[in-house]
Amino acid sequence: MDISIQFKKGALELCVLVLIREQDRYGYELAQSVSKHIEVAEGALYPLLRRLVAEGFCTTYLQESTGGPPRKYYKITATGEAHTKKLVVEWRQFVHNVSTLIEKGSTI
Amino acid sequence: MNRSEFLALLRVHLSPLPPEEQQELLEDYQNHFAFGLQSGRSEEEIVAELGDPAELAKEALGNRYVPDEPIYWYGGPNQTSEQQASSATGMSNRPIPIARRNPFTQALVYIGLFFLNIVGLPFLLTLWCLVVSLGLATLSFILSPLLVGLEYAVHDNFHWGKLFASVTMVGLGILISLPARMLLKTMLALSVSYFKWNKRLVKGDAGHEQQ
Repeated sequence: MDISIQFKKGALELCVLVLIREQDRYGYELAQSVSKHIEVAEGALYPLLRRLVAEGFCTTYLQESTGGPPRKYYKITATGEAHTKKLVVEWRQFVHNVSTLIEKGSTI
Repeated sequence: MNRSEFLALLRVHLSPLPPEEQQELLEDYQNHFAFGLQSGRSEEEIVAELGDPAELAKEALGNRYVPDEPIYWYGGPNQTSEQQASSATGMSNRPIPIARRNPFTQALVYIGLFFLNIVGLPFLLTLWCLVVSLGLATLSFILSPLLVGLEYAVHDNFHWGKLFASVTMVGLGILISLPARMLLKTMLALSVSYFKWNKRLVKGDAGHEQQ
């Protein structure tokens, strides 16, 4: 259980970047989209998003919404785009390596 | 837990952050609640989805997360905690500045310790006397059969009653010896830490770091 939380935390940045790259999204929307796929403490998104902005991987803009507070949209930057691509490649490599290792282990 | 409880807790845990950063994060969460409520969820549901405020705050603080530090009575390492908060990188090779006291402060420290010890030392001594006498009593209880034997050997008189009484004393002695030993240990630890604390106060925080 605890370990799986650590996995998810590690993958969260990648998931968020991919989602933002797809289209501009606001915090709550991101939370919904992420938790559709993986079960994670949604609150962890906001510190992560702050960090992504601070590192220059995405920018924010506000947009009025009907009957609610303005939505803070996150938009990916060029560096963010490059970073995402790099992360995805690394992720695939990593997952591939780990599954090969596990398969090898299970046959013994 | 409802919305306001969650936000209050979060605010507490975020307190090490600069105020504007705190405010922004709190706004993010407030908006999250607003959007969640708009889409027909209850506050409790949203809180459950968000997760533990303490954990979230830890995430937000990142490497600025400062574990609870001991409070120093005088200057001390607290002066560096601000640097530590801003540049959490060099934790290990962080230079330890030795606070130089001016002579006046140093004199005040000595005077303060003098008056404290006027009361403290006799008190400690009294406690020691109590513990030592308890120990001696225990020892004599346990050794009482020897005394009965000695009386028989020297004065050549022997009472069964005395023998049984001494056996009872041995039992009592063994029983008392357990708490007595604990007390002795506690006293030792107490005295040592008291003297160390005195030394530390005299030397300033440099003495503390060297321990």
